[in-house]
Amino acid sequence: MANVLKGNYTLNNPVVIEQDKDVTPEQLFEKEALKRLGGSIAFVAKQKVMWDTPEEKENK
Amino acid sequence: MQSDGEIGLKLVDGMAAITLDRIGKEGVENAEKNQRYIDKGKSLRNLRGNSLDKSDCAVVIAAGPSLHRVNVATQLKSYRFDGAIVATESAMRYCLKQGIIPDLVVSLDPHAKRIVRWFGDPDLTVEDLKQDDYFSRQDMDQAFSDELRANDEMLELLDKHGKNIRIALATSASDAVVKRSLEVGMDVYWWNPMYDDPSTPNSVTMSLYKKNALPCLNAGGNVGAACWMMAHGVLGKRHVAVTGMDFSYYADTPHKNTQYYYEAIALVGEENLEKFFIKIFNPHLNQWFYTDPAYMWYRNIFLEMAADAECTTYNCTEGGILFGENINFVKLKEFLVGEACR
Repeated sequence: MANVLKGNYTLNNPVVIEQDKDVTPEQLFEKEALKRLGGSIAFVAKQKVMWDTPEEKENK
Repeated sequence: MQSDGEIGLKLVDGMAAITLDRIGKEGVENAEKNQRYIDKGKSLRNLRGNSLDKSDCAVVIAAGPSLHRVNVATQLKSYRFDGAIVATESAMRYCLKQGIIPDLVVSLDPHAKRIVRWFGDPDLTVEDLKQDDYFSRQDMDQAFSDELRANDEMLELLDKHGKNIRIALATSASDAVVKRSLEVGMDVYWWNPMYDDPSTPNSVTMSLYKKNALPCLNAGGNVGAACWMMAHGVLGKRHVAVTGMDFSYYADTPHKNTQYYYEAIALVGEENLEKFFIKIFNPHLNQWFYTDPAYMWYRNIFLEMAADAECTTYNCTEGGILFGENINFVKLKEFLVGEACR
């Protein structure tokens, strides 16, 4: 890509792109797709409705 | 009985974490923004144990593909159902078009652009449609595939009926949904969806509660499950039937019409979609359905919640994959004429 896109200027602060050499573009693509899966909202096991905190309950 | 879906099944176990990663931050940020609207509504606490002047029964109307095949509205009317009707926001159009004003509508998904479409999006542009084809592909309400017309129709329907609708609105809802609900005069009841166990240290749920003092409800991953939880956990209904709760697709539904089609292709490739989608045989109907990891997760957690519920649950969807212990899989007619509704 650097052979094709060249600027006629010099950057004051050169940009260093850090790449995880172990991650392929395919894996990155999959990771992004995974992020978009999932439900509408969280699920919390063994819970129904919390009307008050335990302290508030005690004070009632 | 289930088959294939080797990769899909592995993904089901990760759905809770993936969901929380995707919506957790957005939901909490929306709750912060919505703080300024709380006094425009009431707390869900006001509906606690409120029968809504209806019988001990409730029917949840969700927008799964079976909804139109089963003619839910016609049956509710013809059998003069006198219990409460709790509907997902995605089923609101169906209800209103059928002349049914739900006793309670529920909305919770924080998505900034999609959910407001169920309310009619006053700001919908052609550019929006180009960027997101979710509604034109989806398998729930076919009317939404003609998007601009459907949007205009929904705007009109809610402008007309909004003031007669009670809505349990989660603090996670987007700005667009909140503004639209208030603009059409809906009777808003606020609540927090649970993000984690409130008794754990540094709980997000507890921190939200301490800020807004609104009741926190375990929404079970999706709005249909939240409706069911509202029906028994808030309104106190003892017999709750769910309709349109397929959590799956009919076997003849093209993969392209499923909610995570593009993600499935990105993950396994078009040639391996059989590994992503899970086929399930429903023995009550003697019929195969197929599902994706998110719907499969919904199904598993619903079964878990049903085991612990203080109501009897009837699945009257007449389709889909929600069956198992603690679920009475019956036809809607059987529920409506049965002992529970008498």
